[in-house]
Amino acid sequence: MTHARTRPRPLSLDEVRARLGEPEGTATDKIIDHIDDQFRRFIAHSPFLTMATSDAAGRADCTPRGDYPGFVKVLDAHTLAIPDRPGNRIADSFRNLAENDGIGLLFLIPGMREVLRVNGRGYPTDEPDVLARMQTEGRTPELAIVVEVEQAYGHCGRAVIRSRLWDPASQALADEMPTAGEMFTAQLGLDIPPETLDNALEDGYRKLY
Amino acid sequence: MQQTTIDRIEPVADGVVSVVLRGSAGALAPWEPGAHIDLNLPNWLTRQYSLCGDPADRERYRVAVRYDPLSRGGSEYIHRFLRQGRTLDVSLPRNHFPLLPAPGYLFVAGGIGITPLLPMLRAATDAGVPASLVYVGQSLASMPFVDELRSRFADRVRLVATRSDGRPDLAALASTLDPAALVYCCGPAPMLDAAEAAFPADRLHVERFRPVARSFPASTPFEAVCARSERTVPVGADESLLNALNHAGLRVPSGCREGVCGSCELTVLDGEPDHRDDIGAPEDRIYPCVSRAASDRLVLDL
Repeated sequence: MTHARTRPRPLSLDEVRARLGEPEGTATDKIIDHIDDQFRRFIAHSPFLTMATSDAAGRADCTPRGDYPGFVKVLDAHTLAIPDRPGNRIADSFRNLAENDGIGLLFLIPGMREVLRVNGRGYPTDEPDVLARMQTEGRTPELAIVVEVEQAYGHCGRAVIRSRLWDPASQALADEMPTAGEMFTAQLGLDIPPETLDNALEDGYRKLY
Repeated sequence: MQQTTIDRIEPVADGVVSVVLRGSAGALAPWEPGAHIDLNLPNWLTRQYSLCGDPADRERYRVAVRYDPLSRGGSEYIHRFLRQGRTLDVSLPRNHFPLLPAPGYLFVAGGIGITPLLPMLRAATDAGVPASLVYVGQSLASMPFVDELRSRFADRVRLVATRSDGRPDLAALASTLDPAALVYCCGPAPMLDAAEAAFPADRLHVERFRPVARSFPASTPFEAVCARSERTVPVGADESLLNALNHAGLRVPSGCREGVCGSCELTVLDGEPDHRDDIGAPEDRIYPCVSRAASDRLVLDL
């Protein structure tokens, strides 16, 4: 199948700068190179993050990670560890990190408008003392991703405010979506009732660790 | 469940804080020495701690928590992030380590293992029963409640700092023990193992923080029949009964998931349990986080 493509006019960085102006001092000054006590508290209360990596050719990928608050362990002021829970085993992030260790994290706390951004270098580990701290429901992950922190900063709450992300009324948006089973059977052209896929997904969701 | 407010968090030794909780709605549930409660922490984790305050004080509970560098999020949260004034839900007290009547007691505490034994020593002393405490730790600075023990119990307490004094000779203690006295021991696994080697089993009561390393025969699949909900849940060889029930949508509360805390206790109606806990399950009870079935079917009151 071919799709018509739209390609709006691209701008150079200089052109973008000309439109945005220079950043205010406080916007860059707030970037620190480690996890201080404030950010440690933020991470201890965050049950969800997105993790961006890219391969050697710059092909980018972003993946969600979620667990109980504080599931990301702060090993010291410069080092984090993210558990690798059972997923689809595609291992995109691991493949990317093997080629390019740059990693970008965005931590969210439900109800909190500001978010925490952490950038650095990532690599996989199976260090038992790290994995032991990640035991949940009697299960210890096989792997974790260690992040050596280069930049950490709080990001203002405008995006969360505009998006009404934590407003319970916003959950009505999900009512306008088909179920995951309906979506995937349509996309993949599967000849099974969508409920079959929905039930299978629901079964899988009961076993989280 | 009881709602409490954190009255005070303060260091009581190197790496140990005491947490005093006050009942938000008046008197708290009564307890006896040896009891523990679950703290439901703001980070969704549930952790068990022995009550180490005064049972006569119905307004407050006190627990003491040692920071574990390999913390999964419980002790780290309490030490770093829990704040005075916050409300905290706690369970009703449970007691798997009760103080049985005896004409005399020897208490042997290792480090943070002092917590259940402190109220026991107080209760025995108040009742006029001869009791003494051997309290072992790496150094006096790392041992909580040393001053309190010295001032209240003076020569009934022997403090042993292993870095300067070495380990106490439990066999020597056993040889001079009143033959009718009971021994209560709580501390790290090597100390409990030494106590089990030194004291007669019928007079020794121990409480463990972590399970004993033991090997069990290979796990086999079985069926859990949940009588009240009229559901039958298959339990695979590679999953726990607790996880199988939870994954089937039958929520069973849990805490340690290692067979030491007792929060997941269920009643067995029929079938033969294969007990693998470190609590000592009563005849008709089972701790499904570790225990399984020796029969093909286990009927549960669930």
